[in-house]
Formats: sequence, structure tokens, C-alpha cells
Amino acid sequence: MWLWYDWRAAAVADDAGNILDQEEWDGWGNTDEVCNRMDIIAHSAFTPEAERLLERFPDAQPRIHGDGELPNANWPLPSSEALSALDKAAKLLSKRGVDAAAGDPDRRLEHLSRASEELRASYVTLEGRLVEWVGLFLPEARFERDRAGLARKAAEANSLSDLAETLDVSMPEQGPSEKEWKALNDWAHSVGEIKTRLERMEDSIRELASSHLPSLSILLGPLLASRLCVEAHGRARLARLPAGTMQILGAEKAFFNHLKTGAPSPKHGHIFMHPWISRSPRWVRGKIARTIAAKATIAARCDEFGGEIWNEDNVRPIEERVETIRAENPQPPRR
Amino acid sequence: MIDGRAIWTRNAVPKHSQYGESLRRFKGIEYRRWDPNRSKLGAALTRARQTQYELLPEPGDTCLYLGAGHGTSLSHLHDHVCGESNREKGRIIAIDLSPRCLRDLIHMSKKRPGLVPVLGDARKHSAWGIMVANRVDWLLQDVSQAGQADIFISAVHRFLKPGGKGLLSLKAASERWSGEGERAVFDAVAEQLEQAGLTIVERIDLHGLEDNHCLYYITN
Repeated sequence: MWLWYDWRAAAVADDAGNILDQEEWDGWGNTDEVCNRMDIIAHSAFTPEAERLLERFPDAQPRIHGDGELPNANWPLPSSEALSALDKAAKLLSKRGVDAAAGDPDRRLEHLSRASEELRASYVTLEGRLVEWVGLFLPEARFERDRAGLARKAAEANSLSDLAETLDVSMPEQGPSEKEWKALNDWAHSVGEIKTRLERMEDSIRELASSHLPSLSILLGPLLASRLCVEAHGRARLARLPAGTMQILGAEKAFFNHLKTGAPSPKHGHIFMHPWISRSPRWVRGKIARTIAAKATIAARCDEFGGEIWNEDNVRPIEERVETIRAENPQPPRR
Repeated sequence: MIDGRAIWTRNAVPKHSQYGESLRRFKGIEYRRWDPNRSKLGAALTRARQTQYELLPEPGDTCLYLGAGHGTSLSHLHDHVCGESNREKGRIIAIDLSPRCLRDLIHMSKKRPGLVPVLGDARKHSAWGIMVANRVDWLLQDVSQAGQADIFISAVHRFLKPGGKGLLSLKAASERWSGEGERAVFDAVAEQLEQAGLTIVERIDLHGLEDNHCLYYITN
């Protein structure tokens, strides 16, 4: 005996295909209700009709519509009106699915992270030009220590002599024309503005990454954590990466060059951004990168699979380990 | 709907170009040019030697499209199967996994009645299979995942009417590379389809229009 069911009806038939009993649901005018039923079926559960029939015929084997084992029978298939109600529900469900994608932190991080990369690239170019530009007119000025402050000072100054006074340097004989100064001043304004925007953007990355990847953020810092997550195409994939991949994530070009030509393998990818690596002597960076990457995979897995969230106590032993590696290798290796 | 080399479909949304393709009026009816470089189905129609228009479903058929993408092929299919305001009473169920693509498909479905976009994984029938209430006349699969042939065979068994038309667009690069070139991959898939009891009517190599792709036209 077989129990056939779909989203709006259920029926019981014997092996020869004779219908013994059937139940139909006629509430399909309500699209939300149809959607609920689709959810039931998507979770491999039974509709109320199927459950009622199953109580009456406990021996019947339940099979969903379309299953190959079902015998041929005159099953109560939906009318064309019911089918168009189903289409409507399908569209609504898809719309909900697409709307739900907006809540996906992986996708949000991706946009934020890529946008901030683009913004940073343009900030560096614009700021570099400003320093050169001001340097042309005020050759005595030195801004190595306070490059960021220069934008603010140049934007606030009313004229070049004003700026020269603020920077405490002498005016050159040949200065810019009125309009030229205005253009330089505008440039300084936009450098300052981009800086503010960049900071705001990075703040929002920090916020999102700290909630989406709390353990990894504690270990590597939220900006690096989000960059790794984006590079791995989402937290779910990041958490499944082996430590070796995590270590060279972002160094794909060097890695494939290594495979192809036998050049030295890359020792670190994005993870190099971490001060433990970038502030260490060249010859221990590979060792430290390996240690940190191994720990980072564990942290990412804690975040993805709902493990205990890391705190400072988890990071301290790793920092000690890094210190040990540095202490053990004070000199570059001899060749 | 064929003019020299180009293929044209009668535009179901007059004056609207879906993806930047050219529109042309002929005897008061507007047609859209089907770009074979952008659509694998379009490429297959251009390249098919024996079958050509048999590849397409009949107007008014129920179709299942696995891996609809941004809807380039789908829009022409809709022109053909449903037509303006679904005058042919056709039905196309378009499945895609990516919310980004579904966003475009949902917009398209507003202008094109008869088109049902569904967010789901082509491999997981249980999640969306119930949307396909009756077996379909025509099935096209264009997903770039490993095991495309297995996905296709199970979809054909589950959803295609006996005597229906099935099209599998196979991307060689998505399959495991055996080191013997894409020809070997295509042959292995052909064998696999025949072992599953499907009849290959024509195998269309899309080289030149869509590299590393091959389209199989089968019946069950």
C-alpha cells in the first residue's frame, strides 16, 4: 500500500493503483499558506493531509509525488488554477530567498572589504600627489612624520603663505597663482574627505567582522580576518581550509609560480599584514606564519561551527610561542 | 525566425531589449536577435547539423531549466514557449543557486508571465521538486559543477516526460580532468548517458562560440 502526497493533496492506493482514500486541501488561494507548505516539504516533513491519511493507514508507505517507486494511479493532481497559485508561491519564495541574501554577512563583508581596498588605493595616490605638490612650492617642509596632518593643514590654510606659516617654513620666490592655489586647496580637501570615509568604512568592517568572526578577529584583528574571509569566498569555506592554504591565502600568484617553475614557495599571503609576521626578521617570518595560520584555522572553525569564542587568554600562549620562535632564531641562517 | 546566419525570436516584451541584443521589426512584428556567443542554447541552434529547431520545445510546453544564470537563453526560450502575456500558455521553471542571478530572474519574471524563478540547488530535488507538479516536456541543464552528467541523469529520470527532450550543456573544465583532453571527457559523458538508458540524438560541439562546452540532445 502506498501513500502519495504533494503540497495540496494526499492519497492512498494499493499496489495495483486503486485509490482507497484521499484528502485535499483547498486553502491554496492564500499564497503565504502555500509557501508554508513548500517549507514543510522542503524539510522532508508531511503535510497535514498526509499525516491524517497516515493515521488511518499506518501500513501505507509514504512517497512524495514524482517518486519512482509509486505505482501508476489516478492521483488527485492539482488543477491549473492550483498550479498557478503554486507558481505565485514559488515566486514569493524566491523573492524571500533573495531578500535573505542581504542578511548574509559574507556578502556584506565582501562589498565592504573590496570597497575599502579601492578607497585605500585612491587615497594613497591622492595623498602622495598632495605631498609632492606642496613639496614643490615649499621645498623646506618635511612631512615624513605627519603626512595625514598635511591634508588638514593644507585644506584649512587660506593661502600658501598661510600654510608656510603653519608648517614653519619660509615662502619661495615663485608661488602658485590664485587659481592654482585654489586647485591645490581643493585637492587637500578631497584627501581629507577620503581619509574620513576610509576610516568610517574600516570601522564598519571592524564591527561586522567582530560579530561574524569573533575568534579570528581577536587573533588576527578584524580587518585581516575579514580579508581572509573574503579571499576564501565566505566563512563556510574559510573554516574548511587547511592551515597551509590559510597561510598563503592571497599569495596565489607566487604559489602557482612556485608549482610551475620551482621558484621558492611563498611563506605568507594576506596573513603577512599581521604585525607578528611583518615586524619580525625575514628569516623567522615563514615559521611564524605557519604557527599563526594553524591557530587561525582553529579560530575560524570555532566561529563557523559555534565553538567557544576566543578571548585574550587564548591568544596569549600563541603570542608567547611567537616570541619563542623569534628568540630561538636570533641570527639569519648561514648558507 | 531565421535570417541568414542570425536567429531571431519574437519579442514577448515589445520595445525591450533584455541584455543589449538588437531588436528588429519585420512585417509589424518585433524580433530579438539571439546572440550565440552569449547563450549556449543559441550556440547549439547555430551549430546543430541534423536537428536545429527540434532542440527547442513547442510553444505552450512546460519546461525546466536548471542553472538559469542571468537569463540570457531563458529570455529567448520564454519568447518561444510563452510569448507576449503568455499567449501560448507555456510554463518555464528556472532554477538557480545564486541569489544574485535570481534577483535578475525575478525582475524578468515580472515582465514575462509564465516564467517561474526558483532559488535552489539543481542537485537537491527534494527542496524544489514539488514546484514541478507534472513531468515536463523539455529540460535543459547548464550548471558548472562536478558530476554534471549524474545531476542530469537523475533530473531526467525524475522530471522528464517519456519521449521528452533533454539538453545537457556540459562544461569540460568542471569535470575531473583525466589528462586526455576534453574530447575524452565528452566521450565518457556520452557513454554514461547511454548507459543510463538515454538516447543521444545529437552531440553538438560548441567550440568557437563557447569553448570547452558540448551540448547533448537526448530523449528518454
